[in-house]
Amino acid sequence: MSFDPQPYNVLLALGHWLAVFGSCLGIAFFVAFMTGVASGRAGAVIGAVTSSFSDFFSTSCRRIGAVALLTFQESKRRKALYVFFVFAALFMFAGWFLSNPSNRPELQAKSYIVFVLTAISWLILPVMLLLSCWGVPEDIRLRSLHTVVTKPIRRHEIVLGRMVGYISVGTIVLLLMGVIGYVWIFRQIPDEAKPSLVARVPVYGTLTFINREGKQGSGVNVGDIWDFRSYVEGATKARAVWTFDDVSEQRVGDQMVLETKFEAFRTHKGNMEKGLLARFIFVNPVKNISLPGKPFEVKEYQDATLVIDRKMTEVDEQTGELKSFDLFNDLVYTDPEDGGNKLRVEVQCLDAGQYLGMARPDLFIRLADRPFAVSFSKSVLGIWLMMCMIVMLGVSVSCFVKGPVATLAVFTFLIIGQGMREFMGRVVTGQEHGSGLVESIYRLVYHLNPTVEIDDSAATKVMFGIDQIFKKLLWLVQHIIPDFGVFRMSPYVANGFDVSWEAAMVPCLLITLGYALPCLLIGYYTLRFRELEAK
Amino acid sequence: MNRMSSQSRKITYLIIIVCLLVGIVFLGMPASSEEGSGGRLAQLRVKHNLGEGSLGKVDPSSTTMNLLLLGLRGVATNLLWMEANEQQDHKNWAQLRTTVDSIILLQPHYTKVWRFQAWNLAYNVSASWDAVADRYFWVKEGIKFLINGSNRNLDNPELLWDTGNFMGSKIGRSDEWKQFRQYFYVDPEPRLNGGVDPELNPARKDNYLVAKDYFLLANDAEEKDPDKQHIMANILFRHYPVRAQFDYPMALQREGIFDQVTTEAWRVGYDEWTGKFGRELFDTETDGGWVVLEASDDDITRLAQQDGVSETLKREWVDRYQKMVNYIFWRTQARVEREELTMQAHRELYQGEQAFKESRMSEAQELLESGMAKFEKVMTQNDSLLLEDDAIEEALNAVLIWQHVHELEGKQVPANYPLKPLWDSQQERVQVLTNEFRREYGIK
Repeated sequence: MSFDPQPYNVLLALGHWLAVFGSCLGIAFFVAFMTGVASGRAGAVIGAVTSSFSDFFSTSCRRIGAVALLTFQESKRRKALYVFFVFAALFMFAGWFLSNPSNRPELQAKSYIVFVLTAISWLILPVMLLLSCWGVPEDIRLRSLHTVVTKPIRRHEIVLGRMVGYISVGTIVLLLMGVIGYVWIFRQIPDEAKPSLVARVPVYGTLTFINREGKQGSGVNVGDIWDFRSYVEGATKARAVWTFDDVSEQRVGDQMVLETKFEAFRTHKGNMEKGLLARFIFVNPVKNISLPGKPFEVKEYQDATLVIDRKMTEVDEQTGELKSFDLFNDLVYTDPEDGGNKLRVEVQCLDAGQYLGMARPDLFIRLADRPFAVSFSKSVLGIWLMMCMIVMLGVSVSCFVKGPVATLAVFTFLIIGQGMREFMGRVVTGQEHGSGLVESIYRLVYHLNPTVEIDDSAATKVMFGIDQIFKKLLWLVQHIIPDFGVFRMSPYVANGFDVSWEAAMVPCLLITLGYALPCLLIGYYTLRFRELEAK
Repeated sequence: MNRMSSQSRKITYLIIIVCLLVGIVFLGMPASSEEGSGGRLAQLRVKHNLGEGSLGKVDPSSTTMNLLLLGLRGVATNLLWMEANEQQDHKNWAQLRTTVDSIILLQPHYTKVWRFQAWNLAYNVSASWDAVADRYFWVKEGIKFLINGSNRNLDNPELLWDTGNFMGSKIGRSDEWKQFRQYFYVDPEPRLNGGVDPELNPARKDNYLVAKDYFLLANDAEEKDPDKQHIMANILFRHYPVRAQFDYPMALQREGIFDQVTTEAWRVGYDEWTGKFGRELFDTETDGGWVVLEASDDDITRLAQQDGVSETLKREWVDRYQKMVNYIFWRTQARVEREELTMQAHRELYQGEQAFKESRMSEAQELLESGMAKFEKVMTQNDSLLLEDDAIEEALNAVLIWQHVHELEGKQVPANYPLKPLWDSQQERVQVLTNEFRREYGIK
């Protein structure tokens, strides 16, 4: 099982957002302006754009609140809160199917946590999707919007009010579900599994390898299809080297807890009744200190913790004297390049002919745990942000198409954004063999599988050229469709980790904020320029 | 446009509806508890044992899932199967187990799925773990999966045979057989507090005896419907209960247990081999007709007359079938092993080897000499043992250790000693065994 949260690159994300949003805005303005020029109303287009600024600057929270309140009441009328009955029914019987006493305690806890968070998402999101996609089209059909627009209310206030209203309904439902789910987890899971309800706070390092000759290199692949872990050979100079940043007394405390999750690979049976032996070596390259720790047995696929005391001792092999070291004064060093406080930990396998597999998240410094409620709440917050995204998309799309079409469109966004972005990424970057549109058709017709080379000719060059255009368009689509995968924080909670601020919360918040403005603009301009009589 | 009036149209529709309803009732009416009740489909289900209830234990969630998915069961199964493969590649074991359970919810009566996934859990997933206790956990998961499969598919000989095979071979013959056999009595799972796993071994038996129970159930199921068994030839399939009975004392001997229990286990095995399995009738489905393995001259004559073939042809087919299951070898082995003298010989050779390993040389020499003498006596009384590799190697190994003890003690190996004729006649084999012996004990 891999669990490797990667920090989010805020600057890169911002750059992408500006590029995509800017180019879409530019294209939209250009098309509108050219249409205006063609019909001799270019001035009207510019006027509309400038007047929209005054609309936005005179936004009234009271008017937005009024629309939001109406939306809330409308949702209640539509019996959106009935979703609770389904929720209650699920939770009444779920225990029958989830309880498996033969599972290990941590796996039992995992099943319950994943179930609760998945059930909450799957119940709340479709309800909010339907509500948000049908609200505005229904207003137009029943002509209630006609009455609203005659009032001194601006179009973007209608859009914002709708969004706020739906989000308020969803927030109440979600809060209740979250609280019930939390209590249910605590009541349902067996006592022996309760200690696994924690929120560990890990500090991950960077991982490099030293090969069997003692030189900088890479780990060994022992034949796994999955190249997540690399292996070091036992009883050689091979090491896995972790470098942790920002290690200080204030952050770590007097005892440093290292948590490991290594994998063993044996080339011979060895002593089957014992796990492979490994050890840590703390290295300070500045002071040239290398302090080996006590050997420990590797327990696979289990989180094993080792407590390292601040004060460590070692017998000098030459003099026989007992030398003592302080973790922060002797082993943590200041990097001459970036000036950060770093700790270098090398891991060595001690059994000859055996291998130890490691990946970046397999060793981390464990800071003081946070309560389970913290990670659970953050995960619910992730669902809330995802719900906000769906409401924003639903309201803005429903401003220019009818309810069923809007539902289908947002649902498609949701499906692609949840599970197909990775595939699209592989197509765009050319990692997926034979994935060009025309190329695929050609291969289908000529019965060529994706790995068969296609002859290099003028016709195929044209074909690949056309595919490149489609791939550029796909790149745009890939960046327009939100990555809903990042909102899924249940793996953190289920694996007993606190939800990482850098790797999970920041991307969720930024993505939601990033879509808020475009959605508002789309809704605003559509309501402003569309013919409301067209049902 | 239709010229019929609205009322006539409604009457026509009503007649059509009633006609369809009669057809539906005739075909699909559910059966009640009375025999022969229900519509045509219900009767056919009962006749061919295709009702969910008659196939095995009913799982309401499985049935609901299949109904809800309508015709998309196959697609859902494929997706789940791909997911399971990916989870296995990514070593996501907990999720893999859940996904496999979901696949089974969709295809509860597809034997191949049960067999494939059980093998995957007990052999492939288990081998991916390093700690022996963890490996045993996954072996148990595979076996429990099969037991569940047998419950969902009553009288399925293949699933029952697999359960027996896993219980026997996987636990008793893996590289980790010593630990696995111990764990079968003292389970390492903390929740079991050092007891047995009640799902696997409720009666606290040896793994081979539990395997035998499952093989017997498999034979019963095969008897009811021989067409359900596609794993191997009928005669091979049916010989497994007694083979498990033989494996039991052999495992005890490997563990150094040479007592009354072992002798008794061999005796039971011999009786069942010759008295039960040996007396079963097998149809060769050729011109050979019916054969019985423990066939006396009278049996041959009777069977030849019954099938209208010559006695020579009948003997030929009996011989062929005996060879298929190595009948004569096992009969001889069991007959010899059930004797007290044989057990004493084994015990002394084993104890002699242990004494040698613990550097108690005089005791080793004494035990080995006594064991070799007894072994020679057993071999003299049973000529056929001189053709059996295991017996010959056991004897030669004993001589090798005994000679090496002499060498270490600075003594001359006597010109005559027990088993010398065998030693002299097997010089080619002696060379190979000497090399293995030296490698094992690090002798240059």
